Amino acid sequence: MASAPRGTAIRRTPLERIEYAIIVTTLLALVVVTLQPILNLVAVSFSDPAKVAGKSGLDIWPSGFSLDVWLLLLQHPNVQRGILNSILITGVATAIGVIGTALMAWGLSRPKLPFRRAIFILVLITIVFEPGIIPDYFLMKRMGLLDSYWSVILYKAVNAWYLIILVRFFEEVPEELIEAAELDGANAFQTFFQVVLPLAKPALATIALFYLVFHWNEFFRAMIYLTDQTKYPLQVVLRQFVVEGDKLAIVGAENAANNIGVAQINLKALKAGMIIITILPILAIYPLILKFFTKGTMSGALKG
Amino acid sequence: MSSLDHSATAIPASSGNVPKFRRIAVGFRRWWPYYVMLAPGLVFFLIWHYLPIWEAKMAFEQVRIIPPNIWVGLKHFQTLFSSPVFYQVLANTLIISTLKIIFVFPVPIIVALLLNEVRSGKLRKFVQSAIYLPHFLSWVVIAGIFIAILSPSDGAVNQITGFFGAQPTAFMTDGNSSRWVLVFSEIWRSAGWDSLLYLAAIIGIDQSLYEAAELDGANRWQKVLHVTIPGIVPTIATLFILNMGMFLSADLNQVINFLNDVNRGQIDILDTYVYRIGLKTGEYSLATAAGLFKAVFGMILILSAHFVSKRLTGKGVW
Repeated sequence: MASAPRGTAIRRTPLERIEYAIIVTTLLALVVVTLQPILNLVAVSFSDPAKVAGKSGLDIWPSGFSLDVWLLLLQHPNVQRGILNSILITGVATAIGVIGTALMAWGLSRPKLPFRRAIFILVLITIVFEPGIIPDYFLMKRMGLLDSYWSVILYKAVNAWYLIILVRFFEEVPEELIEAAELDGANAFQTFFQVVLPLAKPALATIALFYLVFHWNEFFRAMIYLTDQTKYPLQVVLRQFVVEGDKLAIVGAENAANNIGVAQINLKALKAGMIIITILPILAIYPLILKFFTKGTMSGALKG
Repeated sequence: MSSLDHSATAIPASSGNVPKFRRIAVGFRRWWPYYVMLAPGLVFFLIWHYLPIWEAKMAFEQVRIIPPNIWVGLKHFQTLFSSPVFYQVLANTLIISTLKIIFVFPVPIIVALLLNEVRSGKLRKFVQSAIYLPHFLSWVVIAGIFIAILSPSDGAVNQITGFFGAQPTAFMTDGNSSRWVLVFSEIWRSAGWDSLLYLAAIIGIDQSLYEAAELDGANRWQKVLHVTIPGIVPTIATLFILNMGMFLSADLNQVINFLNDVNRGQIDILDTYVYRIGLKTGEYSLATAAGLFKAVFGMILILSAHFVSKRLTGKGVW
C-alpha cells in the first residue's frame, strides 16, 4: 500500500541504490535495537545460572542451558499468585469494560437521542479535567474498596477514549438496517444484540484488546490501592523485585538468610525471567494486536 | 413552541405542538431502552470521574482524623506556592516535557518516512511488526529492560561504549543522565507505534502528486520534501498540539519506574511529587492542592490544544 511500485519502468541509478541500502539498513538497525534487549533477557533466563554473572548484554544466545530459573519462578508462590491475580483482574475488568463501553456507545451513537450532547459533554469533561490521584484514593477509601480487587477492576472501568472510538464506529451503522429490524418487530435490545453487535465484531475485538493490554499492564493503581501483597498483580510483583530492587520479594527472607533455594540462583537471571514471564501474554496476543490495532489506527482512530 | 392546543387528542410524536411533558413522555417511551443501555457506563463515569471532583475539596480543608474536616481556604495553596520543592518539580516537569518534544516527537516522523521508502511489502511488514511491540509493554517491564541495558557491569550500552574505551557509567543512578534515560526509553517505546499514525497520513496522499513529481524529474529526496512532508503536515500539527496539551504530565507511569533517591532532583515531576507527599508522607491536603494545580493548568492546556488544533487542522483532541 504505502509505496506500491511507483512507475516500475524507472531505472535506479547507483546513487539511488546506495540510498535505498542506507534506508533498509537503518530500519533493520531499529529492529535490532527493539528486539535485542528482549532476546538478551530470554537468553539470560535460559542460561545456566552459574554462567550468567558478567554475561554480556549484547549476547542473544544462552550460555549453557538450564530451565532452573523458569521452574523456580513458575513454582514460586508470589509469581503464581501474581499471575492468577493479573488474570483475574484483567479478565473481569476487560469483560466489564467491553460490555459497558459497547452498551453506552450504542446509546450515544443514536443521533436523535435526547440529551445525547449533554451526556457526551459529561464524558469529554472527564478527559479534560482529572482531579488527581489523591481524590481518587479517598473515593476508593470512602467506598470501602481499598485493598479489594474491585478497586483495581472498577477503576475507570469504562474508558472515555475507547468509548469515543466505538461511538464513531456505531455512527456508521446504516439507519436503514435498524429500521428494517424494527419493522420486523425487534425491540431496541434485540436490534442491538442481534443486528448491531454481529456487525461490530472487529471493532469490539479491537476495544477488547485495548482493555486487555491496558489492564494487564496497569500497575500504579494496584500499587496504591492494594496493601495485601497476596493480591498484587504480576506487574507489581515485578516492580518490587526488579525496579525497586527488593530481592526478598522473590528470594524470600528465609532463603536469603540461609542461602538456600531461590537464593542460590543468580539474581540477574531471576529478574530476566520475571520480565519475560510478564511479557509473555502480550507476546501471545501480539499477532491479534497487529491485525486489529494496525487496521483500527490506519482507519482514523487517533490514539491507542 | 409551547402549545395552544391542550385538548389531548392523540397527536403524532413528531408534531411540534405537543405539550412539553408529553413530548418527553413520548420520547421516553421511544428512547428508554437506549437509556437503560447507557446507564451502567454513565454511572461509572459519574462515580469514578465526578465523585473525585467532590473529594478534591480536601485541598481547601484541614484533614482531621475524626471528621469533620475544617475549611481553611487557600492555606494549602499558599504553602505549596512558597515551597521550593514545588518549583523544583514544576521545573523538572517542564524540562522533561520540553526534552521529549524536541527529541522524541520527530523520531516517529522519520521512521514513517523511512518505512514509506521500502519497496518490499514483506520487509516493511517485518520491520513494523518488530518496532510496534514496545508500545504494548508496561513501563515496569520497560524500566526492567532499561535497568538491564544500562547496567554498568554488563549492560549492552556500557559494553558498546567500553569498546570505544569509555569508562562504564551507572546511567540509572546518575543524576546527569536520568532525564536522557527518560527520553531514550520513551523513544524506544513509542517511536515505532507512533510512526503508524504518520504512515496512515502518508498513505492518504494522492498518488498522482508523486507521478507528477516524477514526470518533473524529482528524485527521492525531492519527492519526500515536496510531496510527502507537505502531505503529513496536518497530522504533525495535530499530534504536536496534542503533545503540548499533555505538557504538565510528563508521564507518571514512566517516571515512577525510573525515579530513585539519587535522581530525584532531576526527574521528580508534579505527579510523582503528589504521590509521594500524599500517599507516602500523608500530607493529603497539600498533595491534593498540588494535584488540583496540575489539573486546572492541564485543563487549560488541553482545551487550548483542542481549539487551536480544530482551528488549524479541523481535527481536535476528540
